[in-house]
Amino acid sequence: MNINTGSNLENTFDAIVIGSGISGGWAAKELTQKGLKTLVLERGRDVKHVSDYPTANLKPWEFKNGLFNTQKDIMESPIQSGGFDPGDRHFYVNDTEHPYIQEKPFNWIRGYQVGGRSLIWGRQCYRLSDLDFEANAKDGNGVDWPIRYQDIAPWYDYVEKYIGVSGQVENLSQLPDGHFLPPMDLNCVEKHLASSLKNKNGDRLLTIARVANLTKGWDNRGPCQYRNLCSRGCPFGGYFSSNSSTLPVAFATGNLTLRDFSIVTEIIYDDTTKKATGVRVIDKITKKEYEYFAKIIFLNASTIGTASILLNSKSKRFPDGLGNDSQQVGRNLMDHHSSAGAGGMYEGFKDQYYKGRRPAGFLIPRYRNLKHEKTDLGFLRGYNLQGHGERQEWPDRFQNTDGFGVDFKSKLTTPGPWTVWMAGWGECLPYQENRITLNNEKKDAWGQPLVNIDFSFKDNEEKMMEDIQTTSAEMLEKAGFKDIGTFNYKKPGGSTVHEMGTARMGRDAKTSVLNAHNQLHDVKNVFITDGSFMTSSACQNPSLTYMAMTARACEFAYQQLKAGLL
Amino acid sequence: MLLLKEHIIFIIIKFKFITNKSNPEVNRRNAVKNVLALSFLSVAGFSGYKYYSRFKEANIKEIYSYKNLIAELAETIIPKTDTPGAKQANVQDFIINIITNCSSVPEQNTFLDGLDDVQDYCKSNYQTDFVKCTAEQKIEVMRHFEEKSLYKIGILNKINKKLLGQPFFVRLKALTVIGYCNSFYGATEGLAYDYIPGAYQACIAIQPNQKSWATK
Repeated sequence: MNINTGSNLENTFDAIVIGSGISGGWAAKELTQKGLKTLVLERGRDVKHVSDYPTANLKPWEFKNGLFNTQKDIMESPIQSGGFDPGDRHFYVNDTEHPYIQEKPFNWIRGYQVGGRSLIWGRQCYRLSDLDFEANAKDGNGVDWPIRYQDIAPWYDYVEKYIGVSGQVENLSQLPDGHFLPPMDLNCVEKHLASSLKNKNGDRLLTIARVANLTKGWDNRGPCQYRNLCSRGCPFGGYFSSNSSTLPVAFATGNLTLRDFSIVTEIIYDDTTKKATGVRVIDKITKKEYEYFAKIIFLNASTIGTASILLNSKSKRFPDGLGNDSQQVGRNLMDHHSSAGAGGMYEGFKDQYYKGRRPAGFLIPRYRNLKHEKTDLGFLRGYNLQGHGERQEWPDRFQNTDGFGVDFKSKLTTPGPWTVWMAGWGECLPYQENRITLNNEKKDAWGQPLVNIDFSFKDNEEKMMEDIQTTSAEMLEKAGFKDIGTFNYKKPGGSTVHEMGTARMGRDAKTSVLNAHNQLHDVKNVFITDGSFMTSSACQNPSLTYMAMTARACEFAYQQLKAGLL
Repeated sequence: MLLLKEHIIFIIIKFKFITNKSNPEVNRRNAVKNVLALSFLSVAGFSGYKYYSRFKEANIKEIYSYKNLIAELAETIIPKTDTPGAKQANVQDFIINIITNCSSVPEQNTFLDGLDDVQDYCKSNYQTDFVKCTAEQKIEVMRHFEEKSLYKIGILNKINKKLLGQPFFVRLKALTVIGYCNSFYGATEGLAYDYIPGAYQACIAIQPNQKSWATK
């Protein structure tokens, strides 16, 4: 073993942030702006804004195999290749290099690089509401969130004002409004559907997606150019990522040190001070070990990564993993389901089209179980519908158009009928048995135990999917759509890439991992603000909540540090 | 978190198969025909799994000798009109790349066999190569293979479709369309390519002779 302890001074910082994705980037920004010397450890390579986006300006014909993945890529990365194409494959891991064990099928989509998956995220930004924060307490699943909407609301404000979120104010209690840049427009068929489904109660409506795409210049970034190539990295800075926004700001303070290729294997715990003293790191390239020390540690390695670091951090005090007295670390893994929905064709608006590629669709906010009422729906919680309307173009037309030759070409190259596709993004309950564990028999190339993932959707989610199919088809029918079809892709867990819950917050140290400040109950100088803190999943895309909770926890940690309590 | 990838049409079927490299002299066509026959058995309840091993590495270099044939087939699907056709858009090179780099061994074999079948069919019905057929004959040939593919889709069960890939004509047509629409000539002249739109105009009046957008 090569342990380079160096001089402690050189390896000692005020704060260490593990991970540089959407929440780690925020921790880096907040802590450095507060004047803390901060070390960010990223297990993958560096990705510089713009200069490391090699495919961002490529035209379709400039890819050798079009946007087809090669057989080699598919064989090497059977999971990730379901998500990537040659335009963005360099922002996904190689499955062969980074294996994991699937007890049941689970798509663990990962981006090991500076910026993490903030480069390839879907950019949807929705606030949770008290409907979500109260849900566990009211129906008895999981444990109660230790916070309510009023605790996080100012931090949603703070984050939205910084990242820039475009959207429309709608005055819904189940989906609180935020600080929005001008909304993108709905197209003809979407407006038609919106006017058809608006109800008297005002609790069912269709609104433009709220996205971290800039409809006007913001913070020296953007505006969005409507190319819809976000996942390649945006040379215009048209959407928020760690790379385009938080990390450059953190660097500008002079307080940031970023170390790439740094695989954190464990957090070091000191039994005399009852605190974490630092982290142990393996250099990905040289495989040498290093130790770094700090007063506070932010763990932002992504839900599954964070849980595995905790489980791997064993000490006399914590034989089952750091902060795992409750035995909840790794449990309650959640992912939204997004498999079920409906589509249809609309015969009108033949003389209308659009120009530009809007990088977002529409949202029909949650309309089920809005009052925790007892219903005969057969499931708890709810879902929102996400979708988009468009005219059929060549990718939609060729498989349904028989023949070949001049007529075929003419159909292929002209706009077809308007269609709408929409699917339900649904809440997943926290189940103890949906969990990750470490397999110490099987190790990766760096000698680290492989992650074992045991996850499945259950009856509540299945019933919800049936309801999604029914209600979405009904809405299309009422709006006069034809050829309506429902679907359930039955995608395995992980496919929505919203992993959450493996280090849940709670009021009681016996049944949860983190307190109301995202602090490990029993190791006060370790904060966890990635998706693992989520006590329930709600049905909203969760990244905005991670960012808001990160900023909130950073302020708390800073105040505690100043008061000499950490 | 990710985009609506399920909406993407380029559905690539992923599966692992075992190739048997110990018998390289076995004729490719026969090997695949054996598998075809056996896969029908599997419909009747046999597991097709053990027959994967009958799959031979495709002699993929062969495909280059079919370049003119592929070009003519593609041009018959998307001919030159007032805008460029498949041949001018170099769809033949695209198809060769996709079959070579982005297809499984069974998919490669299915495609190469399909090309052989086209040649055989033209020889026995018109006593010449497809390339030398008249425009009418080419259309007849394509019709024949289109009908055959529809028949095949009907009888092959899902597993066999996964095993062997799409029928030859379906794949040929799909690759021709994708290759054309993503090509310089196809995207910029056959369709309307908007490199950097700069704005989203949600509802605008359609123009006379409106082409659809090349990219989504």
